Amino acid sequence: MNSPINPFTVEVIRNALTAIAEEMSLVVMRSARSPLLREAGDLSSALTDANGDLIAQGRDIPAHLGVMGSTVQEFLKRVPAAQLSPGDVWFLNLPEVGGNHLPDVKAVRPIFAEGALQAFAVSLAHWADIGGARPGSYVPEARDAWQEGLRIPPLRVFTAAGTEHEKLNLILANVRGAREREGDILAQMASTRSADERLAEVFERYGVATVQAAIRDLHDQSEAEMRTALRSLPPGSYQGEDWLDDDGAGDEVPIAVRVRIEIGDGEATFDFSDSDDAARGPLNATPFTAAASVFYAVKAIAGPDIQPNAGCARPLTIITRPGSLLNPPLERPVVGGNHETSQRIVDAIFRAMEPVIARRLTAGCSTTSGLLLFSGRDPRNGRWTTLYEVHGGGEGARVDRDGMPAVRPHMSNVMNTPAEMIEANYPILIERQALRRGSGGAGHHCGGDGQVRVYRVLAPEMELTTMIERCRIPPFGLCGGAPGATFRITLERACGETLQLAGKTSVRLAHGDRVIMESSGGGGYGPVTAKQI
Amino acid sequence: MARSWKVGIDIGGTFTDVIAVNAEDGAVRTAKVQSRSSDPVASIASAYRAVDIDWADVADLMHGTTMATNAIVEDRLAPVALIATEGFRDTLEIGRQNRRELYRLEVTPKLPPLVPATHRLEVTERIDAEGRVLTPLTDTEIERVTKATEDLGVPAVAVALQQCFANTEHEARLGRRLQTAVPYVALSHRISPEPREFERTNTTVLNAALMPLTAGYLDKLEQTAGDSTNLHLFHSAGGMSSIEAVKDRPLALALSGPAAGVAAAGRIAEELGLTQAIGFDMGGTTTDTCVVIDGKVQIGGNQRLAERPVRQLMVAVESIGAGGGSIARIQGQAIRVGPDSAGADPGPACYGFGGEQPTVADANLVLGYLNSERLLGDSIRLDPQLALAATRKIANAFNVSDQEMALGIYRIANANMARALRRVAVERGIDARACTLIAFGGAGPMHAVALAREFGIAHVVVPKFSSVFSALGCLTAELSYTEQHAVRISSTAWQADEFEDIRQQMYARLARPLTAAGHALDSLQARHVALIRYAGQSGTVEVAFTPPADHNALDAEFKAQHQRLYGFVTDEPWELETLRLTVSAATGNDINVPVATAAPATMVAPETQCWFDRDRSVTTPRYPRETLAAKQKIEGPAIIEDQWSTTVVPPGATAWSDLSGHIHIDTGGAA
Repeated sequence: MNSPINPFTVEVIRNALTAIAEEMSLVVMRSARSPLLREAGDLSSALTDANGDLIAQGRDIPAHLGVMGSTVQEFLKRVPAAQLSPGDVWFLNLPEVGGNHLPDVKAVRPIFAEGALQAFAVSLAHWADIGGARPGSYVPEARDAWQEGLRIPPLRVFTAAGTEHEKLNLILANVRGAREREGDILAQMASTRSADERLAEVFERYGVATVQAAIRDLHDQSEAEMRTALRSLPPGSYQGEDWLDDDGAGDEVPIAVRVRIEIGDGEATFDFSDSDDAARGPLNATPFTAAASVFYAVKAIAGPDIQPNAGCARPLTIITRPGSLLNPPLERPVVGGNHETSQRIVDAIFRAMEPVIARRLTAGCSTTSGLLLFSGRDPRNGRWTTLYEVHGGGEGARVDRDGMPAVRPHMSNVMNTPAEMIEANYPILIERQALRRGSGGAGHHCGGDGQVRVYRVLAPEMELTTMIERCRIPPFGLCGGAPGATFRITLERACGETLQLAGKTSVRLAHGDRVIMESSGGGGYGPVTAKQI
Repeated sequence: MARSWKVGIDIGGTFTDVIAVNAEDGAVRTAKVQSRSSDPVASIASAYRAVDIDWADVADLMHGTTMATNAIVEDRLAPVALIATEGFRDTLEIGRQNRRELYRLEVTPKLPPLVPATHRLEVTERIDAEGRVLTPLTDTEIERVTKATEDLGVPAVAVALQQCFANTEHEARLGRRLQTAVPYVALSHRISPEPREFERTNTTVLNAALMPLTAGYLDKLEQTAGDSTNLHLFHSAGGMSSIEAVKDRPLALALSGPAAGVAAAGRIAEELGLTQAIGFDMGGTTTDTCVVIDGKVQIGGNQRLAERPVRQLMVAVESIGAGGGSIARIQGQAIRVGPDSAGADPGPACYGFGGEQPTVADANLVLGYLNSERLLGDSIRLDPQLALAATRKIANAFNVSDQEMALGIYRIANANMARALRRVAVERGIDARACTLIAFGGAGPMHAVALAREFGIAHVVVPKFSSVFSALGCLTAELSYTEQHAVRISSTAWQADEFEDIRQQMYARLARPLTAAGHALDSLQARHVALIRYAGQSGTVEVAFTPPADHNALDAEFKAQHQRLYGFVTDEPWELETLRLTVSAATGNDINVPVATAAPATMVAPETQCWFDRDRSVTTPRYPRETLAAKQKIEGPAIIEDQWSTTVVPPGATAWSDLSGHIHIDTGGAA
């Protein structure tokens, strides 16, 4: 309240900035080409200030939103501000540039006013393919980062003068489905352009100095609110751990994420140093993903209404050990770490806090993308297609209610693709989509049920890749509630053979084969009471 | 005088508005009465009494209602059975699997399904994406599922089978049989013939659940009105519908009330020759905004009602939970306004019904915009002390004056509404600055100029009859029917003849009820819109055309609009996805009440103190709207008020009334 500008102007500018970020996502969904963006909405939008500190975000995907600020900060270490010009749109996906995994490609646009750099607009979109060893760019057997696809360091693809066609062509030559990808790239460009135009109006209306002062105020407000929120947690030291089923490398050994949390006076430290060493398979997570997960967990536990921006992160210290699962050597593969290991981090934090604030927590959810990737040629039109489909499962129970069935929890919020859209666009028939009744964990309140979906292959051949957790280690119960059922993928060959598929594998499918997806249930809360028995 | 009145009535949640015009002598009467939510026919009767008209005097009743919306919002829906394809009865509960709140764990991630598992049945049959029958629907199976539905004892059943829009035979056969066993049947290929099973099922179920309620009401209305009153209902896409059509498809009433307001805004825009306008309807709890281009209301097909997806053509209204009752509160070091609302009960603190939290209306009273001397309607007297006490509570926390806090609340409420305005403009690719803002609803005229200045809008219109504006929309709207049809013709395989055939068939279908109502075929107007996109996009661009459609003209217009919306075009082929056609006939119910042209010789307006900046108040005259003469210029600051609404003309703005009684305000450009 010591600001040079009044709090009402700050609130008015906050509204304007949030509207810009929301509009960016709308532009991508309306103009992009791949179903993953236009049907399932696997995308996010954000604005940062000239230093890369997050100002505003759309209502998108927490796993994306947590890394957007780091993306610009790391980008600026490699591309000095002096090299940036109005109208630039830079593309990048390198995990070490504040990233998460290769398929999430960011378009970064510097925004100028009064002749100086003022802000960045970032449009992140999950590309349905970024090259690499397998269609869809999920390679369960990958043992190094280069097998995972095209690695794009900051690359200026658009300038005020137009498209840099040589660079665009280099990208398109290295991904499957080049035409669809080109449409998606243009949609991301269009989204940053709308942010540029809208921000120009805001700067013109309020003046650059006022807007920048408002942004500083917003950061300070969020910082103060986060400190207040942290003071609502009992001070002390807490430890928790959770395990990945395995890293897909064939060892079938669980891998631990361990956290030590120190809650101080309006601040908190999350130390992941005791987590296991980096995995051989693609389940490593970048430190930026680890930070995004902590940011999500703290906000969900203590301050859901706080305006999400860089100020929220100031009271948080996050430590990851170089060489560990959460700070891997650069050559290690990471594609699954983004949405699997990130969820393990949230679960480990929840389990650490269970002894003191169980009433605020949700029991273990189906914390996995449940990803199935089908690719193959559609016999109806000869086109190469890749279906990237994620599957929600049971929500964990809470102190005052049962969990709900078939939802995406925590770090993700990607929608499903309707069965009718799948059948129209891919050589697949959906034979069944139903709740997986009885899969939620028992308890005083029960966990939500998972779901079942049956895919029948209608092409002569297809390839299936899985990237799924909770196949062996079930979603946990809280305070004595029972765990939910584990995730299960069954392949019924047309020839009559039936086999259970691993959570991270690739397999060839033939016409008439059926893939049965059964997602995990949520954990229960509290012991089953006598009345219920 | 018998049967000489044409009446427009809009039944809202709180008030019922009426406007009646006498076909013989042009007399106009208006009134606003309390709605009786339990008995809408009683609301109409009470409105008739307020304008001193008897049921027997009414030749035409044009009627809009929020009945359907309120039934959905308040969860007063009839129990429904759902029949889905075998393997798919849980689609309704799975939904799209995303959660509504990213960070709020305590909030249930989805709404519960509209039909519980016990009432969701399956039928053995299957059709594929190309419309081929994979599993036939047998007569035995039809009998089995009909029996099972009867056993549930529900009044209504919804049928939503997979891929039914590609081949309607299974749904149609099942529907025919069910009609003999269950009072109300809704078939998804008729209610929402498009892919995406969750959205289509939801839309169909909502429709089925509204059928008993709506039919009961409409039967009663028909009986009460008698044979010689023509009844018309205002539907969500912005035109009139017959009673019979609405009984089949009550969901068409979902946005009936807002659509009528939008239609009235369209008429005003047309009358004043405005090419681009934004309708701004601010009420007690919600604000509806919409875009009007060349007097035509914009329509969309992908919207939500009470958080549930609804796939049908409706006016493109952006609704936000901000209004006069929105509550201001402190969050940390910030101040937020809404989305919580004091609603009608307890209402804003100044109503004196026990509300203690400061609202936007309280801020308006503290600033002197609202008049504490006047009764709101006939009943509510505003108490400035209560408003001040509520505002002061949070003003103290910020260490600012009461007036500065009130101004802050006023500005933040405007910023919230600006976000909604931005969204409707963006969705339509419109530059808001080039628009005229047409303000109505109880609070619209109070905020209009300040909001317009946020956008750099220069011109605001507060139309005559602004406080019964939706009723006016019902009365003056054209009779229109709209339909859209998926055509999916690629630019590389342009089929001019086939397209023209489809168009002519649609035209014939839409014109039939109008010619049946006595309108000559050559007096009808048609509006054609092609929805075009690049192959693979989900969003389409609306391209208006005059038939026969010219491939090159469509190409040029599509690309020009795509460039404007997204900043790029490519040489790829495009796809004409859908043809939308509206056929309409004028009703001739225009209202023209001339306004006195000479200003009263000595008009002394009472003066009050109003706050427009935080440092000082200014002496502000308060004009009763009915005393304004045409062309009389009023320099801000000034307040213009009638019984139900208050127009604020801040310093730097100039207002005048035109010959028809519409108030125009030059905002003085962007602030």
